Amino acid sequence: MPDEEIAEEGVISPAAPTVQDPLLRDLLAENETRPAAETPQEKPLPVPKAAETVDCIVIGLGAGGAPLLARLAQAGLKVVALEAGPWHNPEKDFATDEKAQDFLFWNDERLAAGADPLAMGKNNSGTGVGGSTLHYTAYTPRPLPDDLHIKRDFGQGEDWPLTYEDLAPYYEEVEQFIGVSGPSPYPWGPSRPKGYPMAALPLNSAAQLMVRGAEKLGIKTSPAPNAALSARYYQEGVGWREACTNRGFCQAGCSNGAKSSMDVTFIPLAVKHGADIRPNSYVTEIERNAKGEVAAVVYTQNGETHRLACKNLFLCAGSVETPRLLLLNELALTSGQVGRNLMAHPGLQVWGTFPEEVRPTKGIPGSLISQDTHRPKNADFVGGYLLQSIGVMPVTFSGQVARGRKLWGQPLRDYMRQFNHIAGINILGDCLPHADNYLELSDEKDGRQVPKPRLHFTAQENEQRMNVHAEKIMRDIWAAAGATDIWAFQRYAHVIGTARMGLSGDDAVVDRNGRAFDVPNLYICDNSVFPSALSVNPALTIMALSLRTADKFLENNK
Amino acid sequence: MTSQELLASAHVSAATRAALEQRLADTGAAYEPQLLAPETYRLLEAVAARLFPQPERPVPIPLAPAIDQRLAEGRADGWRYDALPPDREAYRLGLGGIQEIAHSLFRADFETLAPGQQDAVIEALASPTPPGKTWETLNAGRFFEEMLAELTETYYAHPWAQDEIGYTGYADLPAWTKIGLNEKEPREA
Repeated sequence: MPDEEIAEEGVISPAAPTVQDPLLRDLLAENETRPAAETPQEKPLPVPKAAETVDCIVIGLGAGGAPLLARLAQAGLKVVALEAGPWHNPEKDFATDEKAQDFLFWNDERLAAGADPLAMGKNNSGTGVGGSTLHYTAYTPRPLPDDLHIKRDFGQGEDWPLTYEDLAPYYEEVEQFIGVSGPSPYPWGPSRPKGYPMAALPLNSAAQLMVRGAEKLGIKTSPAPNAALSARYYQEGVGWREACTNRGFCQAGCSNGAKSSMDVTFIPLAVKHGADIRPNSYVTEIERNAKGEVAAVVYTQNGETHRLACKNLFLCAGSVETPRLLLLNELALTSGQVGRNLMAHPGLQVWGTFPEEVRPTKGIPGSLISQDTHRPKNADFVGGYLLQSIGVMPVTFSGQVARGRKLWGQPLRDYMRQFNHIAGINILGDCLPHADNYLELSDEKDGRQVPKPRLHFTAQENEQRMNVHAEKIMRDIWAAAGATDIWAFQRYAHVIGTARMGLSGDDAVVDRNGRAFDVPNLYICDNSVFPSALSVNPALTIMALSLRTADKFLENNK
Repeated sequence: MTSQELLASAHVSAATRAALEQRLADTGAAYEPQLLAPETYRLLEAVAARLFPQPERPVPIPLAPAIDQRLAEGRADGWRYDALPPDREAYRLGLGGIQEIAHSLFRADFETLAPGQQDAVIEALASPTPPGKTWETLNAGRFFEEMLAELTETYYAHPWAQDEIGYTGYADLPAWTKIGLNEKEPREA
């Protein structure tokens, strides 16, 4: 908890307004007046007064923060973005080497608890101007309309307070703007007024193998929608962006700007319209005024502490740092839902060895998709999943072999020698919220002296049943495609739902427009607001929500 | 083509070349442990030599320095099993526990055992109930998984290990145009 401090007149500490109990208040006041601990401590420099008040501060420049930043700047507002990580020059700085690219990941330690502890870092968390989109796979299928109504259809989980129709125009806008390559028409879901702006990217080896196996089983497949350019593309604020060179290193950073991460799409657009981007800016405190509104943000940049006053705050720090900041600052907590409802997509992978040469790093990792398993007829579980072929980089793969197969010594070296003949396939499945799955602040502090978050995750019966169903299908596809030595690797991707959106402040943190029920000038946009996990990769939906959040804000603040 | 040929070619970017050449330059160089006590470090080296036996190489791919360096600098990879103590403590305790298994099975230090006996110690570590007091409080399965994964990722990041598995993906300039089954560019041969 931040220290109690009176920053300036009218601005009180985050902790103060929540102390309702008069006795406790007296005790706290007494503690305040007591002399400090006997050992003299280095007195922290006072936080400087805010030099200016801006219309909006955006914390986090990933898929949640960047689109709305551009929208707000385009509307003529004075906007400042605080991003914890640096601003990279991918062409010069990004190596085709997994270890060297380690700087893209949020590497501050998080504690992974529960029966299925969630791998963080490179598995799902980014830092830098562009956030996790710097290392996302750029797999951008839209959810199908019923994804948003899992409770309506199954009586379990939670419904979105939005419909597919609310989001469809934003999906289209994002796809057209950032440049999604994909099949038109798309084989699943409702028909669309506009197809993808570019043809799908070419199928790589793993995709060809999945086509072969799936055809034999009567499963329909399609080249996947992917936010990497299959042809040169003109980008407002950027100019021409070059086509994908099939490096296959999307998850370790794209070096030629073909992948539509935020740093080559919405962020340059925001800058063009006057947004002020402050990299290496780590937020330590969110201050409120006597009315309980956000008044200012305190952050450190290159070792210096700054205070920036704002009229509105957009918290877009991702589903771990967003609830962490809310908990640390005791902000927007009355629903009791901050940190709760933590969901993670079942991402079970199945690997096999093929007689053909695969060379699994080449081409976009997620080249092929099937949504035939969206609502499987014989399912004994709620919801469904999508199937995709997957490419893989050697270091990541070797780590999974070590963890998943527990091979070591000569057998590990022998298995890895087959690397060029290995291909994989995986699922991305829906997940239900559960009381046992949540994020909390631990007692252990990280290098910045801030409590580490602890994430509890245990796959429940529904996820387990889905995994069993999916493993059988994927093993069948791989066997039909000619694979031997087939094995499965259990994995969960994306942390979702820790500050959910809903119709009422009784059971949700933000309303359908992303505005916090408790704090009238606080907005949240990232995958923490998802009421349900959806059976598709989240980035496209986060970007669509981001634009919608900005539009609703602008509409309501005319 | 091998890493030696590829690194000298225009197929590798400057940033990629810098990363891989640094790893080659560190290979065979003397390394003084910065965090682990000398005897603990020697034990880690001995364990790594059984997890990645490299009898064919006069100079092996170095594995233990990466762990010692990371621990010394306090770097993390973004997460930790809640079941394990902080990394420095986990490695100290875990390596001590490996010594305990060696004593329980063979009444001698791990480093002095024959390769077959060392493998038996590692098999015991990987088993559901390794002998020794350490493992009553330290989760052996998670510790072994973490150590094995870290050593494995260090090994396969090295250009020699990448040659071993036929991986040439870092030589990606100007582009890959042959990406389907059984397709490869001349530089992948």
